[in-house]
Amino acid sequence: MRSDPAPWRPPATAVRWTIVAVLLLAWEILPRSGAISPLFLPPLSQTLAVIVADRAEYADALRVTLVECAIAFVLACGGGIVCGAAIGSVALLRRLMLPLISSVYAVPIVILYPVLTVWLGIGAMSKIAFAGIYGFFPTVLATAAGIRTIDPNYLVAARSMGANLGQLMLRVVIPASIPTVLAGIRLCGVLVIVGVVVSEMLTSTAGIGYLVTRYRTVLDSPHVFAAVLLIVLLTLLFDLTARLAERRGARWRPQDQAVESFRAAPRDRTEAIAPAE
Amino acid sequence: MADVTAAVRSPPRPVEAAADRPGSIRVDHLSHTYPARDGPVPALVDIDFAAAAGRFVVLVGPSGCGKSSLLMMMAGLRHADSGAILCGGRPITGPDPLRVGVVFQEANLFPWLTALDNVAFPLALRRVKPAERRRRAADMLRLVGLDGFASRHPHELSGGMRQRVAIARGLVQDPPVLLMDEPFGALDEQTRMMMGDELLRIWSQTRKTVVFVTHSLGEAVYLADEILVMSPRPGRIVDRIAVDLPRPRTYEMMAQPEFSRLRDRIWGHIRGDHAI
Repeated sequence: MRSDPAPWRPPATAVRWTIVAVLLLAWEILPRSGAISPLFLPPLSQTLAVIVADRAEYADALRVTLVECAIAFVLACGGGIVCGAAIGSVALLRRLMLPLISSVYAVPIVILYPVLTVWLGIGAMSKIAFAGIYGFFPTVLATAAGIRTIDPNYLVAARSMGANLGQLMLRVVIPASIPTVLAGIRLCGVLVIVGVVVSEMLTSTAGIGYLVTRYRTVLDSPHVFAAVLLIVLLTLLFDLTARLAERRGARWRPQDQAVESFRAAPRDRTEAIAPAE
Repeated sequence: MADVTAAVRSPPRPVEAAADRPGSIRVDHLSHTYPARDGPVPALVDIDFAAAAGRFVVLVGPSGCGKSSLLMMMAGLRHADSGAILCGGRPITGPDPLRVGVVFQEANLFPWLTALDNVAFPLALRRVKPAERRRRAADMLRLVGLDGFASRHPHELSGGMRQRVAIARGLVQDPPVLLMDEPFGALDEQTRMMMGDELLRIWSQTRKTVVFVTHSLGEAVYLADEILVMSPRPGRIVDRIAVDLPRPRTYEMMAQPEFSRLRDRIWGHIRGDHAI
């Protein structure tokens, strides 16, 4: 913000962790001091105690959610990257499909969910289908956009050195698209987690999202927050892993280009969560 | 460095070489027309010239005259409607990195590879063993003065260094001919001057045939044995100028009347054609 160089600035990581610590502390202190009713926000220690006490129930729920996430992730990510690569590299496909996919992306896909439960039941299948669709389209768009940013001059240079079609793909197109694909994977994974949890909250009999809804209807706040905390941790863990992979896979990029993956983030993650309220 | 200076003092003087000597390149009545909405547009008209092995030939002309297209055809990256290109007496029908190396305007290095791996890339395509690849690439980096930068990625190198890597990559398979498409066009004036000297040093050490495209008149005179001046589109060769300035070329020569005379002669063609 300041234009003149400050003599000392605390390191960004330290500031970030301080903010996290302050928030956790507030989570503990505010309900205990009576500033916030424990019904709205049970103290952190109580929430953690609930997780420990009911660990079997939470572990079961988490396992269900993880399996659904993993399957939906493989489908959405694999399909999204393959379709995105095809659409990004073939002009005809791009003209035909891109407007369609962009429009579908704008539709709040959560309206499909009731239909999916009718078709697939309220078990894991409908969650996987919904989360898969939810993660698929943004991944297609991100990958297609990324493939198109490959500099055609790289291909000309490789051809001048005698590269055949297979070598062009293997040694130029694939390495050049790795950063994009990794960013796509991260985006896809985050969306898939949102999709699974939201669909579990809407209609289901198992999973971590289901626990949120069930305990909310009986006003058992510590159990609700315990589930929320686990979802947050799950997402953070995934995001951290994906980010690490991204950094390793895109080490050759100058720093300012790595920021671009943030711009590919979903426009509004709350659009899917809103109907659940 | 003693042998380098010696090499510069006794440059590879062209001899009357047979047309099929490995480094010779011949463009034989080449013409090309681009299709466009309102009819075909002639781009190159009856381009015909030969460069003997070891010569430094510069193609100079206004923007859009087709000089880059011509070079891409010589590299086998594009096809012409009519005419032929022969390298060492055999026609060029596609990219042939063992006969012709190419250096592009933007260095075109692969950003995900280190300088060394970029230089070794053409060898990797031909499945040369990794150890030999590394050795030959390191030799080339040494030749272009980039010892100690082998493990840097392109974004960690300056523009001039990137072009050095690109030149090393063009030379790594030891092709007798090196085609250069405005290789210093994106560099600032000072770097450009230094790279010109570097290129002449490398050329005198490797004795390649160089065909060099530029739109800089001074650069053309400074580097060339022979200058081919092209007209605006449709591109045709309007003058062939033998540059008899002694080698090694020096900065001081640029102030000599002979240098200015040659530069003025090129400019006359370019300006004259614009006036029409």
